[in-house]
Amino acid sequence: MQLTKAMASLSPRKRGEGALAPARKKLKVPYIFIFLCMSPWLFGILFFTAYPMITSFYQSFTKFNLIDSPEWVGLDNFHRMFFEDSDFWLALKNTVWISAISIPLRITFAMFTAWVLTKPKRGSSIYRTIFFLPSMVPTVAASMVFTYIFNPAYGPINRGLEAIGIDEPPFWFMDPKWSKWGLILLGLWGIGDTMIIYLAGLLDVPKSLYEAASLEGASPWQSFRYVTLPMMTPVIFFSFVTGVIGSFQYFTQAYVASGQVNDYSHAMYFYATHIYYTAFRAYEMGYASALAWVLLVITLICTLIILKTQKRWVHYPNGSLFK
Amino acid sequence: MQKKRLFASFAVTALVVGSLVAASSVATAATRTVTVWSPYKGGNLDMWNAAIKRIEAANPGLSVTSVGSIDMAKSLAAINAGNGPDISVSNGNGNLGWFCGSGAWQKLNVLMAGKNGLDVKKTFTASANASAISNNNRCALPLGSEVFAFYSNKDLLAKAGFKNPPKTTTELLEYSKKLTTFNADGSIKTAGFLPWAGYYGFDMDSMWLGQMFGAKWYGGDQKAAFASDARWAKAFNWQKNFIATVYGGGDFEKGSKLLTKFVAAKGGEWGTEHDFMTGRVAMKWDANWMGPMFCTGDDWAMADKCTAKYEFEISGFPVSPELVSTNYGSGVVGQAQMGISKGSKNVKDAWIVMKALATDTKLASAWDSANGAPSSLLSKDARPAKYPAWYQPIYDVVEHPKSAYHIVKNTGEHLEEALLQNLMASWQAGDTPNLKTALADLATKVNQIVARNN
Repeated sequence: MQLTKAMASLSPRKRGEGALAPARKKLKVPYIFIFLCMSPWLFGILFFTAYPMITSFYQSFTKFNLIDSPEWVGLDNFHRMFFEDSDFWLALKNTVWISAISIPLRITFAMFTAWVLTKPKRGSSIYRTIFFLPSMVPTVAASMVFTYIFNPAYGPINRGLEAIGIDEPPFWFMDPKWSKWGLILLGLWGIGDTMIIYLAGLLDVPKSLYEAASLEGASPWQSFRYVTLPMMTPVIFFSFVTGVIGSFQYFTQAYVASGQVNDYSHAMYFYATHIYYTAFRAYEMGYASALAWVLLVITLICTLIILKTQKRWVHYPNGSLFK
Repeated sequence: MQKKRLFASFAVTALVVGSLVAASSVATAATRTVTVWSPYKGGNLDMWNAAIKRIEAANPGLSVTSVGSIDMAKSLAAINAGNGPDISVSNGNGNLGWFCGSGAWQKLNVLMAGKNGLDVKKTFTASANASAISNNNRCALPLGSEVFAFYSNKDLLAKAGFKNPPKTTTELLEYSKKLTTFNADGSIKTAGFLPWAGYYGFDMDSMWLGQMFGAKWYGGDQKAAFASDARWAKAFNWQKNFIATVYGGGDFEKGSKLLTKFVAAKGGEWGTEHDFMTGRVAMKWDANWMGPMFCTGDDWAMADKCTAKYEFEISGFPVSPELVSTNYGSGVVGQAQMGISKGSKNVKDAWIVMKALATDTKLASAWDSANGAPSSLLSKDARPAKYPAWYQPIYDVVEHPKSAYHIVKNTGEHLEEALLQNLMASWQAGDTPNLKTALADLATKVNQIVARNN
């Protein structure tokens, strides 16, 4: 308050005085008008978010087959999930696997690609477009193309591997040991959207910091380790959080790829797939709702842990938003 | 004068009452509306709607609204929301357990025994009657059949010295050994037969494998019989031996790997690139509706004379040798099904319409002519006036007493079929070390699903 007063006393003009600063008139807008402007959003959040969430929360404590009215079963669905449903644990294991492998790989690959793209002196926008384009391909189409590329009989990947002397290349999506790696490669191919964020982050690092490091005699590795990396931690943090949320909802690529081959061992059976099959093939809406709520809780816990730890490793030049 | 007035007032009253009665009857007629949702479109929907017109003509005052191109998921959602049709149609048996078990379709027992009832035993084939029942409840009436039979390439078989299709699983193995050829690099060039989950078969290869060995899906106690019926283990062991002997030269792992690669290179299912049409495979299980394509290539219409590269023959599945006398000639036969939705406000009229549709011989024969889908009706009038000679074996398979679809129970969207298929796929890849335990686990899982859904 004192500071404000002090600033005001220093000010050459008082409020409403100068010709260039006319007094602001307080707009009198009726509340009903504000409400009407907000109503499309309010309608959306009430009917398409809040209502389904509340309904699914209620249904998670019921047995509901879509035809009969939901029947209250208390915590039975959760008991079944943790103690009777082996598919739940398999799907969770697969989801944790894909998260643990794909998130670090995506971060590393996106940052490396972005770093490479900062180097060309000419035609950088063309290279950036080329690397960004795959992320614009619809996921279903990309997944279909990858099942073709990785086809063990006529796919170009295996043909290439055979040409360089690998006699028995993997069967990729047709082999439970390799199918998840196929999905990882598919994910890395479509890294463009994440790469663009890293590119913006890298271009935003002040040159003066590199100059200072250079004057101090820092090697390229030390420049990266002590300048680039700390300055990029907010971007890494962002892609880490969104990566965790996204990977726990991993569905489309696995669904399409497993539909093209016979995923008998459920190597490509992820948590979201389990929810889908429970809801729309077994028609157990109550149990599927319980699975969805547990997924929300798992994702929330993971996100909170990352948020808690970010103070230790994320460097905000202008201070953190998460205090 | 007074008499005249009295007469006039009577006349006016009678006129008014008469008009009111007429108006009310018109109103009643207007309320007699039945809605039918079906997945049919194009020419099939036209045939269906023509049958509906005949029903309306035979039942004055009854109006039937027919809506085509509606799949079962949409029907289910509408039934759930309380605005479903009076009658809905499913293209196959798979969903029957779910629709009957969940109550989406009403039980028909009372309607069938009523005044305007239906003696199903005298009306439909035995397999059609059996397959319209789930959990001992009849909630559906069958329409045209879907037949899964055995297709063999006559030219390739003749070249190998075989005059007839194999009758037993032992013969099938011998035929396949002779018909299979390998490339110089050891990969399979042409295959005799593939007892393989995922080779054009959707989730049904395991069902067909079981049928060859007469394996039962559920026992007398209504529990899943995958472990208790030894024929399942026999079928899977036969499959493993087949892969090892025909493709691996005695080495199962080698045969399995070669077949995985062979299947990965299969031609497109819908056209002349299909392996059976190119001669890449000599024998296979398949559906009746693939016959017209195997006959003419791209043309789906039923043709009298086949124009494809190879001549083929349709027969019943080869069966386990001890079953030849009783089971040879049979196949897997299912039907399109229709039922009256839960919440139908006009059950009585819905039954009239559904019964008429199911027993309409004109519709059945026209449908059969166009689609090659044999009717479920016993009446000979339900047969088309003329059909190609090469297609006759499909009718023989339908009429075989051992032809059937497996018993369906409420497992959601026929999950037991998918689970069995997964086991078959895992087994053929060598990833199931203990078949006995795997079959027992499968039975337990299916029993759990059925128990939960009831």
